[in-house]
Amino acid sequence: MSATAGRDVLRPPANGFKAWLTACLMAYVPLGFRVLRTIRPILRFGNTIVVTRYDDVREVFLNDAAFRVPYKDKLDIIMGGHPFFLSMDETPEYRRDTAAMRLVVRPADITERLAGEVERRAEHIVANAKGHLEIVDSLVRRVTFEVLGAYFGIPDPPGEDLRVWATRLFEFQFADPGSDPALRREVDTIAPALRAHINGLIEKRRASGSFSDDVLGRCLAMHAQGVPGFSDDQIRSALMGFIVGGPPQPPMVVPQALEQLLRRPEALAGAQRAARADSNELLACYIFEAMRFDPLAPALPRTATRDSTIAAGTRRAAAVPRGATVYVAFSSAMMDQRRLPDPHLFNPRRLPHEYIHFGYGLHTCFGIHMNQALLPLMLKPLLKRPGLRRAPGRSGYLSKRGAFADRLHVEYE
Amino acid sequence: MRQTTLSVALEVEPVSVDRLSALIDSVKCQEEDPASGYAEKYGRLQAGVPVLHFMSMSVFPSADYDPVFVIEANFDGPPGVFWGQMEATLGPQLRAMLRCCKKPANRDGPLFVAVTSPDSRYPVAPYFAARSLRPSAFHHGNRGLDRGRILDEGRLFLATRKALAQPDPAAPNPYRLMPAARIHTELRAALKSAFPWLEQPASVRISLAERIGDWLRVAGFLFLVLVGLSIPGMIVAFISPWPRFLVLFGIAAVLIYLGLYRMRAPLAGKGAPTRSGGLTIESLSFQNDLTSLAHPVTLTIGVLLFLGIYGVVASVIATWLGIAVTGYWFDKLWWPSFRVVALGLLSGVFFTLPAIVLWLRWLELRDSSQDAPPLNPELLREMARREDRIAQNHMGSLVLVKPGVLRMALFRAGHLGLGLIVRATATEERHAQNVRLDFIEKAHGGLTLAWGSGIGFPPTRFLVLDGASHGRQFKAWARHSMTVTRFWFSAYKDYTVDQIERHARIADGLRKPTLTPKEAAEWARDL
Ligand code: HEM
Repeated sequence: MSATAGRDVLRPPANGFKAWLTACLMAYVPLGFRVLRTIRPILRFGNTIVVTRYDDVREVFLNDAAFRVPYKDKLDIIMGGHPFFLSMDETPEYRRDTAAMRLVVRPADITERLAGEVERRAEHIVANAKGHLEIVDSLVRRVTFEVLGAYFGIPDPPGEDLRVWATRLFEFQFADPGSDPALRREVDTIAPALRAHINGLIEKRRASGSFSDDVLGRCLAMHAQGVPGFSDDQIRSALMGFIVGGPPQPPMVVPQALEQLLRRPEALAGAQRAARADSNELLACYIFEAMRFDPLAPALPRTATRDSTIAAGTRRAAAVPRGATVYVAFSSAMMDQRRLPDPHLFNPRRLPHEYIHFGYGLHTCFGIHMNQALLPLMLKPLLKRPGLRRAPGRSGYLSKRGAFADRLHVEYE
Repeated sequence: MRQTTLSVALEVEPVSVDRLSALIDSVKCQEEDPASGYAEKYGRLQAGVPVLHFMSMSVFPSADYDPVFVIEANFDGPPGVFWGQMEATLGPQLRAMLRCCKKPANRDGPLFVAVTSPDSRYPVAPYFAARSLRPSAFHHGNRGLDRGRILDEGRLFLATRKALAQPDPAAPNPYRLMPAARIHTELRAALKSAFPWLEQPASVRISLAERIGDWLRVAGFLFLVLVGLSIPGMIVAFISPWPRFLVLFGIAAVLIYLGLYRMRAPLAGKGAPTRSGGLTIESLSFQNDLTSLAHPVTLTIGVLLFLGIYGVVASVIATWLGIAVTGYWFDKLWWPSFRVVALGLLSGVFFTLPAIVLWLRWLELRDSSQDAPPLNPELLREMARREDRIAQNHMGSLVLVKPGVLRMALFRAGHLGLGLIVRATATEERHAQNVRLDFIEKAHGGLTLAWGSGIGFPPTRFLVLDGASHGRQFKAWARHSMTVTRFWFSAYKDYTVDQIERHARIADGLRKPTLTPKEAAEWARDL
């Protein structure tokens, strides 16, 4: 396997007509959803269904018995066949595994060790960048992986870059609908290597006799006490799940939020005021509102486990056959004027239920509280700087590579 | 910001009525619990449903039908947003309440099943939205003021109190000696930093488009009423030459007036002294401003103008219908159509309308009234216990409408028309408002008009007379039809309608950088 250290985190951009067409179409997705919400809120073509309204999106997410997450096959490849709760139904195993992880990923950690660390590292990067900074990789990805890697207890593998490994596996799991064979080849190397890396860490910690107080260390302590849900395989799968499912995402959504703020000078000024006033709560309102205009993805997939109906009893009721793929357009739900007041206005005073950034229902993001606290802090030091503006030229506008944010350069005093 | 008023009336499973009442009570308890984590009572609803002005929940028991669960709400913006916020705040409680209700027999049945089936996670908002009714008549005391503005201006008012307070009890208050314009400048300077929104212009309370829409709706309603009244005359006008028509309808009208004259007297012992139902000569006099509809000349011109416009518009429509049916063209059909419409209108105003009143009077003379409705002392006590605790009271009453097609038509059209007119005239200047308020809200006539179609109502005369003027009887009847408001939320429970208007006037003045001495003097009267 070639060493990943020093390599570009994202795969080379796709070229050719297909890539160009996909990029163009993606730009029109919000408009497409807007039309669909009005004329065909539940769209069906063949065995694929797209739900676009707020109510229906919530209904599908909440009805996990009828609409299952479709992640198992690929997750098995990543985890080597060991289960991880992301792909489970609501079973006793699901409850046991999530409850186990809540014992070691504790709410108090957010304020006690993560928030300060994120702000400190972001401040350090902003201060050292001398007024010109690339946001995606140099700020957000770096801060996320440094802080969360240390918190989970997973350092870079020797000679390798955890950011590359995690992002590839994330892409394979969540952003590879066409199952690209080249990506699969990479995954076939990276996944076993990451498993081996974590196995090695477990062994090393045990051998050292000191567990240390990070997530891995706490898992090992639980294992030692015989708490269920903490076999070595379970610990490894959970940590892999966290590393693959978590840190690759802030570098997507946080720069996207900043891009949206840069497009709206008033909103940007509001966010800057909040940052300067040290009002983290208000800053979070600005960031999550900005994210609403360009969230993680247009939709999340589900698979129908049985024949059922979405929006039963309404005129738009749609029958869903067993086996159908349902795309749950949470980005569209957050723009549905049937439930959100003036959804096209930037309004930092929205209510929590108006946001569905981190999934909903059974598989709501395990790191949701972490995200709510930490994502705004990644931008806070930058927003405090006077004269924050786009860098000149195209690099001052967010570019994307497939599903990922790629580059965004800004300047400040 | 447009305000919406809506009601939801749901039939309750009789066996579940106690459970439903308990559920509503528990929401009330949770909202009033100081340990709920909110700084003030009802903090959860205040924060979770920021569009909400008022909301009530009541369960109406009755000997004649199964209990009815009624939610009434008054909020800013569209219903979808409101129900979304309600679901996010009270979703599980609302679902539990729905489970006490009956499955509707209409096409909302499947939605009800989806929402209430065991373990259902189906959103409740769509069901409430589907079951919401827009009342045919409603009145917004502070139209065009959204909740945020009412609260902001209330806080501003309190701040003006503080700023104006005497700093030293021994020394005279410095503001007392200042001219009004100076008070304005000083107050504005003192409050600007705490209320930065004073620098921005206030949003328009009722936009021109909304105002035009209100009047167009009134005009449309009156147009349809006139068409309805004209129908008998128009049918006869087709076949009868106009001199004969006039004679025929003249005789019929005279007979009707005679009948009305004979039936004018109240039932023996049931007459009440109030004659006008609150619409007094002073309220409709030449002393009013000439621009106001309360001035008789303006009113007459307005009515004649409207009738003229009606004649032309109805004739054009009738001509087009004629063209579609006969194939003749405009030149042939215009005058015959105009003749039919004009004769129809004449007969409508002078014959059909009085005939309907006669019919109504005939019914009124035969109506039964409930002189001693059974009153449940326990219920009365509970109602009294919950009333007059804050500046506002909620009153809910459910009555059956007297049977018969005329009653039904009058009731529906009357409420619709009343609602539209109240809404449109609510923007008129003060004296016109007095007519409206006296007539609709305070006077017996208004109450009689609004409620007189209810079964058991004290005997009415010509729709507005007597009735509610029988104070004790009316009160007993009204109490009997009312029930305990189990849950009442007000976003600003300490303010009355007038107080809110006063806050708005003070705030409007303070928004302006300067006032003329005359404006300032007027403005300072509210301080
Ligand atoms: C910007 C950051 C993040 C975003 C936008 C995000 C978003 C999401 C979303 C949308 C889901 C639901 C997937 C579905 O229902 O199909 C999810 C699930 C999950 N996320 Fe996150 N996430 C983020 C960060 C994290 C972090 C930092 C962690 C690490 C703890 C994490 C761990 C998980 C896990 C374990 C699940 C599966 C939960 C379950 O199956 O019960 N996420 N995330």
